[in-house]
Amino acid sequence: MTEAERQELVMFLERDQLVVDTSQPVQRLRFSPTMKIALWALRVFVLVVSAMVIYTFVSQLGH
Amino acid sequence: MTPPAALPLEEPTVAERAITLPRPALTPEDAARSRDRFRVHNARKHNRRWYLIWLLVGPGILAMLGENDGPSMISYATTGATYGLGFFLPFILVTFAMAIVCQEMAMRVGAVTHRGFGQLVLERFGRMWGWFAAGDLIVTNLVTLVAEFVAIRVGLSFFHLGAGVAALLGVVLVVFTLSGGRYWRWERIVLGMAIFNGLFLLAAILTKPHWGSVGHSLLTASPFPGGSFNTLLLLVASTIGATVTPWMIFFQQSASADKGLTPSDLRHGRYDTVAGGILAALFGCGALIAGAALFGHGGAGFAPTRGLAGAGFPGALKLVSGNAVATLFALGLIEAGAVAILTISASTGYAVGECLGVAHSFNNSAGKARLFYGANIGAAAIAAAIILIPGAPLLSIALNANVLATVLLPVALVFLIMLANDRELMGKWANRTATNTAALAIVAFISICGAAYGIDSFLQTVHII
Repeated sequence: MTEAERQELVMFLERDQLVVDTSQPVQRLRFSPTMKIALWALRVFVLVVSAMVIYTFVSQLGH
Repeated sequence: MTPPAALPLEEPTVAERAITLPRPALTPEDAARSRDRFRVHNARKHNRRWYLIWLLVGPGILAMLGENDGPSMISYATTGATYGLGFFLPFILVTFAMAIVCQEMAMRVGAVTHRGFGQLVLERFGRMWGWFAAGDLIVTNLVTLVAEFVAIRVGLSFFHLGAGVAALLGVVLVVFTLSGGRYWRWERIVLGMAIFNGLFLLAAILTKPHWGSVGHSLLTASPFPGGSFNTLLLLVASTIGATVTPWMIFFQQSASADKGLTPSDLRHGRYDTVAGGILAALFGCGALIAGAALFGHGGAGFAPTRGLAGAGFPGALKLVSGNAVATLFALGLIEAGAVAILTISASTGYAVGECLGVAHSFNNSAGKARLFYGANIGAAAIAAAIILIPGAPLLSIALNANVLATVLLPVALVFLIMLANDRELMGKWANRTATNTAALAIVAFISICGAAYGIDSFLQTVHII
């Protein structure tokens, strides 16, 4: 690819759309203690209900 | 390629950009995406509205029709066969309205940030939460992929073809669509296949339903289903799981970024999402109406329905509604399973690539994105291998796949809402109050439905109730 072709192609992309830009990680967000508790509560809730569904599924297989 | 002669007023001219921008490294992935953006740019410049829509549709329709997958269609047909027309027909419309709200957020975050869901969760919220989200996705995707192969097997069995053909067909399709190294090519092939989801609507029409009853059900959401409360909960949870799932969020956000959507494409991204939702709701209702033809004949308990471990709908429909309906339903199941295998494998590839920080785009060659392509093919190959195991509980897996997706969905949805509200990332495109209200109501509703089924089933299994 020539330099001119390369420049033409770049023009049709947004600057932050280039791979070199999207490869840079966005800044990490710091959770407040309340947010951490809420997220962990949701995670535990989901795991417990998932375990129940899987247990039921496995039990039904036995029948 | 000719550079644009005139750009919209709010954008800098080509010359200005060339002068002001330093020259970044341009990868083959950028070059491929840029060629797609060139066509979008030209369509806008020449005010070719329909062509612009054609160029920009894709991720929304694929996410929605991809979720009208094998287990979903079996679930809708089971609902129709068990309860007939009634509550579940308008309920499908409600669940797709919920899906549109969620998928619009995913599209918007992808178009604004140009990053996939897995990547953003991992970078913004930390590695632990990112891997939790990816872990949920991989588990539900593997289970769902098995269910897709089951659906293909059910459809093929109507034509006297076995599990080996189903497994081979699925894996070959994945490999075929991945060849080419272009997102555009992959998307157009899968879109072309997804249109055949309409076979379910055709099958429904050929069953000659009483359209007055269909209208009555849609307007009044009645009759409300009776019978076992647990079965009702199972069907509610699996109907939700048939319309809103974690893989759809991963897929649409990542595909929107991979396609190269930008904030200027948000309006068309919404058209794409809403069109996908409407088509999927129509075709889903078609599957339910087709299944309802069995309602007066013993429903899901009708003996032929139990063929092939209980999912022999085509065979049962042949006896009740004729060969044409049965053939369309069987072909529909093959299509639904095949399209879902492609989109779900893609979401697995995106998630793995994003979380490991390696190339994760269809615009890369297989050599440049080995893990992305490997995860795509590997997920499909593992699921294909499972359906070849003699005596594997295929129908149970198919029905429970949607329920598991429903149970695990709230975590992905909460992260999506947090990202869509993140003003540092989204700027003026962050969620508005109305979207947040709707999204939080959806999270609460899905959490309650999933938990209600999980807890009720568990308590019954351990004989507490």
